[in-house]
Amino acid sequence: MHVVKKVKLYEQNKWYRFLLNRYIQKNRLNSLFLCISLCLNAQALEASEVIVSTSVIGQLKGFHELRAIFTLRTLYWPNGEKIKVFVLPDNNAVHKKFVKEKLGMFPHQLRRTWNRMTYTGTGQPPVTVDSIAEMLDKVQHTDNAIGYIDRRVEDESIHYFNAH
Amino acid sequence: MNRFITLMLTNIVIAFLLSFSVCAQEISPESAIAVPAQEENKLWEDVKKTWRDDIQFHGFLSQGLFSTSGNNVYGQSKDSVSADSTEMGLNVSYQALNNLSFAVQGLYRRAGANTGDAGEVTLDFGFVDLNLLNLQEGRIGVRGGRIKNPWGLYNETRDVAFTHPTILLPLAYFERSRTLFLALDGGQLYADYNTSMGDFSFKFNYGWVNADDKELLLAIINDPTASGHLESDPSFVTQLSYEILGGEYVFALSYAELKMRYQAKNMGDPYAQMQADIDTFMVSGQYNGEYFSFTGEYSLQWNEFTDIRFGVPDNSPVSEHWYVQAGYRLLDNLQATLRYDSTVQNKNDRYGKGVEAATGGMVPGHLFYAQDIVFGLRWDITPSWMVRAEYHRMHGASNISLLDNPDLTQIAKDWNIYALQVAFRF
Repeated sequence: MHVVKKVKLYEQNKWYRFLLNRYIQKNRLNSLFLCISLCLNAQALEASEVIVSTSVIGQLKGFHELRAIFTLRTLYWPNGEKIKVFVLPDNNAVHKKFVKEKLGMFPHQLRRTWNRMTYTGTGQPPVTVDSIAEMLDKVQHTDNAIGYIDRRVEDESIHYFNAH
Repeated sequence: MNRFITLMLTNIVIAFLLSFSVCAQEISPESAIAVPAQEENKLWEDVKKTWRDDIQFHGFLSQGLFSTSGNNVYGQSKDSVSADSTEMGLNVSYQALNNLSFAVQGLYRRAGANTGDAGEVTLDFGFVDLNLLNLQEGRIGVRGGRIKNPWGLYNETRDVAFTHPTILLPLAYFERSRTLFLALDGGQLYADYNTSMGDFSFKFNYGWVNADDKELLLAIINDPTASGHLESDPSFVTQLSYEILGGEYVFALSYAELKMRYQAKNMGDPYAQMQADIDTFMVSGQYNGEYFSFTGEYSLQWNEFTDIRFGVPDNSPVSEHWYVQAGYRLLDNLQATLRYDSTVQNKNDRYGKGVEAATGGMVPGHLFYAQDIVFGLRWDITPSWMVRAEYHRMHGASNISLLDNPDLTQIAKDWNIYALQVAFRF
C-alpha cells in the first residue's frame, strides 16, 4: 500500500529521483522491481514492427530493401505492383523509433527526400496516417501496402515482416 | 513562347482527362457487359478509387517579415518592417498508370518590387512523366513540360520554405537570376542507379528557360529605359548527385549552359543585337547527421555579354559563389544554423572598382560583391507548421533587388537583415 501510494506521487509530481533515493535507502528490493517494470514499459512503447498487406506477403526479402522503399528509390514490388507506403507523422515516437531502428536513418533525412519529390512533382510521398489504429486499417485494406506499428499484436489478418 | 506554353498545357490537360477513362477501363473490364445503372455505379466507384488512391494534393504557404538597415529587401524594409514576402503553392500529382504520371504546381508569389504588391501567379511546373525502364537497381524515364531545374542542393524547391536551410537562400542562388534558373520548358531525361555503395541520380533538362526578368536585363545593361526583353534560346541544365545511407552524405555536380538574346520591341532599339551566354557549374557536398549537418557549395559562372550596343565593349565577367554552413539540432524540432557566404560578380574585379571608375562613381563597387554571415533558428512546431528567425550581417550588396533599390547612390555597403518567417505545408 505504502509502495503504491508513492508510485502515484512519482507519476503526478515527477519527484521520482528524490523518492527513488528514499526507496533505495528504505527498501532496495522493492525499488529494484520498480526500476525493472518502468524499463520494460519504456521498451514496449518504442519498439517497431513492419507490416505489409496480404497481397505482398513474402515479396520483401531483406531489411536493405526497406530503406529503398521508404526513401522512394524502389517504387514497385517484385511482382510489378506499385508500393503504397504509409507512415506516421514526423514527430511521432513510433515513427522515430522505426526510422532509426529499421532504416538506420533519421526522420529529417526522410523528410528532406520526400519534400524534394513532393514539391518538384517527381514523386508522391508516403501517405501520413494519424494513429497506429489508422495505420493498421490502411495496410489491411489497401493492396500492395507497407507500414509499421509499435508492437506485435496477435491477429491473423496482420502480416509482419520478419527478416534480420 | 506563350503559345508554346498554352499548347503544352492544353495537351497535358487533355491527356490528363483522357487517361482517366483509360484508368477506369483498366480497373473494371467487366463494366462493358453490365446493366447500365450498375455500369454507372461501377464507373463512379472507379473514379472515387482513383481520386483516393492515385491523386495527391500538396501545398505550402509562407509569410516573411524583413527589417534591414541600409538597403531594401522584399519591399520597403530599410529602417522599417516589410511584409512583402509571401509564397503560396498548390500542386496535384496523378499516377495514371504504373509508368505514367502527371504533376502540376501553381505558385503565387509576392517579393517586393519584383512582383509588385499584388504578387503574381505562375505555373511553377507542369509535366507528364513517362517511366521507360524500371528495375530493382534503378530506372530511366523522360518528362515533358515545364520542369524544375536541378541546380545545387536547393534550387529545385527554391520557393518552398520548408526545404531551405534559412529564410534567405545562400547567395549562390542568386535572387536576380531566380527566374532564369527556376524551371525550363522542354524535356528532362532522368536516371537513377542504386548500388550497395550509394545511390546515383542523373537529370538532364533541355529546353527554353524563362529569361524575361526585368532585374536580369537591368543587371546586364544597366539601362531602365530599354523597352525590349530577354528571350531564351535552347539551353540545358544537368545534375549528377550521389547519396549515401539514405542522404546522410550528399554530393552533387551541376552544370548549365544558358543562352539568351535581347528581343527588341521597337525599331532602332540599340540593344537589338545583344546576346547573353551563361556557362556555369556548381559542386555541392552535405552531411546530415543526427544532430549536426554541414553543407558547402561552390560555383563558377562564365558570363558572356556580346554586342550589347554600339560603343559598349563585350563583357565577360566570371562570377564566383560559395558558402559553408553548419547546423545543429538542439532538439528534434529546434535547429540552429550558421553560415558564411560569399559572392563576387567578376573575379577579375572583386570589389567592383573597375565598374565604379568606368561609370565615374555612378555605379558603386559594392554592388558587385557580397559577404554574409548568417545566424538562424528554426522551430518546427508540428510537421506542418514552422517558424524561424535569422540575422544577416552583410558586407557588400550584390544580392539586392535593383527594383527595390532604384537609387544607386543610396546603396549601403555594410548592413543588417533581420528576418522572421512562418510557414505551413501539407
